[in-house]
Amino acid sequence: MTKTQMTRKDYLLDQKQKGRHIFGVFPAQYPKELLWAMNVVPAEIWDPPVEITAANAHLQPYICSVVRFGLELVLEGKCDFLDGFLFPHTCDSIQNMASVIHDYIGANKPCYFFYHPKNPHGKAAREYYVLELKNLMRSLEKQLGPLNPDALKQRIQQGHKISSLFGEFYDLRAKGELDVGNGEFYEQIRRGEYLFPDDLIPELEGFLARNKGKGEKRLMPVILSGVLPNPPEILTLFDELGVRVSHDDLLIGSRRLLVPPSNLKDPFKQLAESYFSMPPCSTKGAPIVKRREYLLSLIKATGAKGVIFNVVKFCEPEWFDVPNLTDELKKRGTPTLVLDTELNQGLSGQMKTRVEAFVEMIS
Amino acid sequence: MRLWRFKGLSMTYFAGIDIGSLTTEVVILDSNADMLSYSINLTGADCNEAVDQALGQALSRAGLSRDQLSFIVATGYGRVTIPFSDKKITEISCHGTSAHHLFPDTETVIDIGGQDSKVIRIDKEGKVLDFTMNDKCAAGTGRFLEVMAGAFRVSLEDFGQLSLKAEREIPISSVCTVFAESEVISLIAQNQAREDIIRGLHSSVVNRIWNMVQTVGVHGAVTMSGGVAKNRGVVVLMEEKLGKPIHIHTEPQIMGALGAALLAKRHFLQEK
Ligand code: SF4
Repeated sequence: MTKTQMTRKDYLLDQKQKGRHIFGVFPAQYPKELLWAMNVVPAEIWDPPVEITAANAHLQPYICSVVRFGLELVLEGKCDFLDGFLFPHTCDSIQNMASVIHDYIGANKPCYFFYHPKNPHGKAAREYYVLELKNLMRSLEKQLGPLNPDALKQRIQQGHKISSLFGEFYDLRAKGELDVGNGEFYEQIRRGEYLFPDDLIPELEGFLARNKGKGEKRLMPVILSGVLPNPPEILTLFDELGVRVSHDDLLIGSRRLLVPPSNLKDPFKQLAESYFSMPPCSTKGAPIVKRREYLLSLIKATGAKGVIFNVVKFCEPEWFDVPNLTDELKKRGTPTLVLDTELNQGLSGQMKTRVEAFVEMIS
Repeated sequence: MRLWRFKGLSMTYFAGIDIGSLTTEVVILDSNADMLSYSINLTGADCNEAVDQALGQALSRAGLSRDQLSFIVATGYGRVTIPFSDKKITEISCHGTSAHHLFPDTETVIDIGGQDSKVIRIDKEGKVLDFTMNDKCAAGTGRFLEVMAGAFRVSLEDFGQLSLKAEREIPISSVCTVFAESEVISLIAQNQAREDIIRGLHSSVVNRIWNMVQTVGVHGAVTMSGGVAKNRGVVVLMEEKLGKPIHIHTEPQIMGALGAALLAKRHFLQEK
């Protein structure tokens, strides 16, 4: 079976058999390269297809479904094959889930916490970030043995390669020169949530070689903002309606994938540089003005006719920003649509109507 | 697309079908966009049966048969279920189109239907500029009023009139239909004047819609569509909030179907 045909679970088990350590990693920003260098495959946990039952006992009704699904996965024992967990400090909900898993339930496996600095991103924040990276490295070394500095440099190079390939994905998409539907585009993007770089890079290159230069330019360009493109049915609906997501401002998408390469010599400073040069993000406390400017730049660059905010229900960081962003975009003549989504619940008739009405409006 | 020839003249007729969760409406227009007939029927469990019935009624009132229709547009939640429509368009665009057609100074449309409500902003040509929808719960919809009227055992028509007779308003704190019904029952048990409670219920619907109005903003003249526009209690309270009168068609329930029929004509001409 080729890597492309393997399910996510089969791939991870295969990696484990090859001697790699598999970590469950919760959203959203973390130093992948450091984990890769320590022979860890980070398997991100965003929207696993489980039915939520047990997690509800631990969480209040106003907690987002990313956290709900993640906790359910752990409670159902579906993470038993993992060698550890990493909880980045993305938001209060992830933070509290980390506490439920680590302090209350007892994960029975090593848990790591990664506290990345929120805005403002001054000199102290940069120094703090480097310290946090080194703290994480030292903690991991206790479980996995010493970090090989050359391995880290090599994985950082691979990280740059992946960012540049994703950059090409987005450029081609913006120009309507990638011959794939919205669903296929994001399916490929999301393979990066668990493939080891040695496998991800050739896969991304193959995808580009197959689909480059033949896209449908006439499709209606829109920007998709929010956390993740879920439910997947929304992408199929876009295809049916002749809509092309010409760029995104998704937490799983451009906000963390499009990282300009750093020329710094010190690998830890390089990683820090990458973190601080990512596009503005609500989970990093980016100023609203920066987020607005970023969205406006995407609209300008891709000729998008509108912005769809597809926001996970109860996602605090995102919902704080949405009213201001929609107001500002509307003032500048950009139509916006706000959808609040429960993950893995398909697309209701009402939701379809909203999307269709929006497309009629911008057509 | 069909073109019906009559005594050597090209006669074109258009139908708009609005399949809502509670009712199905059909409007038939001629080529001058004059309304020849309309029908309103309960949707029930079988959308296709409801459409056949409503379309049959409207056609017979217009003295036409189905094959004389040149273009059919389906709208409403059941639009996807109609196999024979030439185009499917959302109710948002349809309500915007009909409001502009009937009252050309309209820039804001408030549609309160049985199961959902919408506020739509349109430009001076009737094109939708912005909209918001409440489709997740019954609060702020016709269904809320229907359940509450049931609790008082009065008809929906009388319900609105009773609200206008209130001397004061008893605020209803629950937004949820189920909890509001229990709140109402306990207020009745306390012998509170029913008109005052009913006024509170109408206010609750209007406040809910008002939040949506504020999201989209009030622009130009306001037109109200949907079955609830027949309820004077809601209309009067909404006019108070807006500080201006609201345009209401004599049959506000058919505005989705009318918009669909108008768009049928437009698309027919574009495709010809
Ligand atoms: S969806 Fe929002 S609230 Fe939920 S984990 Fe992600 S960032 Fe946190």
